[in-house]
Amino acid sequence: MQIRTFTDWLQTRARVLLVAVLTAAILHIVATLIAPRIAGGTPFAKLSPVAPLHKFQVLPPITPQNQPLAFMAPDVRYAMCRYNTAQGPVSVSVRLPGRGWALALYTPEGDNFYTALGQDGQQSDVSLQLTPVADRFLGLTPEARGKASEAATSLSIATGTGLIVVRAPDLGLAYRAETEATLQRATCTPHPF
Amino acid sequence: MIRLSLHKLKRRLLTASARVIEAALIAAIILAGGLGSSWYMVEAGSRLTTAKLGPWMTWTAAARPDADPYTRAHFVNAGTLPVSSQIQRALVARTDQSGERLHSSCEYIVEGRLPNVEWWSLAVFNEHGRLIPNEADRHAFTGQTIALAHAGNFSVTLAREARAGNWLPTGGAGRLALVLNIAENRTPDSATKLDAAQLPTIRKIKCR
Repeated sequence: MQIRTFTDWLQTRARVLLVAVLTAAILHIVATLIAPRIAGGTPFAKLSPVAPLHKFQVLPPITPQNQPLAFMAPDVRYAMCRYNTAQGPVSVSVRLPGRGWALALYTPEGDNFYTALGQDGQQSDVSLQLTPVADRFLGLTPEARGKASEAATSLSIATGTGLIVVRAPDLGLAYRAETEATLQRATCTPHPF
Repeated sequence: MIRLSLHKLKRRLLTASARVIEAALIAAIILAGGLGSSWYMVEAGSRLTTAKLGPWMTWTAAARPDADPYTRAHFVNAGTLPVSSQIQRALVARTDQSGERLHSSCEYIVEGRLPNVEWWSLAVFNEHGRLIPNEADRHAFTGQTIALAHAGNFSVTLAREARAGNWLPTGGAGRLALVLNIAENRTPDSATKLDAAQLPTIRKIKCR
């Protein structure tokens, strides 16, 4: 009797239930898509105070007292620079002396759209030019002005701002000064129009 | 006459309460189905977004520009900035080999041998991803700082008190999270296919 009643109820409310399931599906999609936008304290927002605009800042060693982000590797030294291509391209120059070194470029949403890794026993110098994807004149390139290009690779980026992170393995006190010196040599220079 | 009115009133009350229950049921379907499922997919992931290798779990599209919305939301909410999963894989273990939660009141042995990768590190955090303060100021080992045993095998002890060999202090952190980062220069075709058998095992030794 109860089953029959429930079946009847299902039949009479089928349309309402269908609307409820569809509403739940829409709510699911909306909640998932807006979650990154409404989340307080995104990684980009948290790192903005320690990553100056167009200047690499070498962060102090990661310790329990000094850990800007969750799950930040304690065996890695970081140098960070915030970029903004609104006023023109930004050139990036980083040396990756060996294994464990990495250069990573992020959008404010945390997408890692470019990465270069250091190779074992091989020093790599990475030069990039970040150029905004925009339908406007960006000025003459160095080649057009008769100068040698300073950047080996040109990256067209959809977002105007973002974060550049250089990671270096922390090999201990004996290597710390050398690691910091290499990190401090990294540059992040704007080229206004 | 009064009996008839009471009967009508009772019927109306029953109908009203049935409608309230119905509305509550529909609201529960919408909220649990919509918000609850979104929260679960973002926090815990699913087979579509994560890979489970023994006690280790990894988000397969972490930090990639073509990542799905669940992966993007997960890392923004978690407040972390991982390297693209195309370059580096971050594997997190919150349980031991038998599926029990890792806890600082217990002692564990993490042992294994990693395939030939560019670089790897093994770090211990509390469940919120914060480093655990300890007098030894030790939080991680890498392929360059760990003391290897025979044939490239390694063994790390997670314990409150000092242990011989590769020891990672867990203090009184409560629930633990172990993070294994593996970096390698690779293309999608040449990627090392990791399986659970290649990753370190996490074995409980004893609890207090």
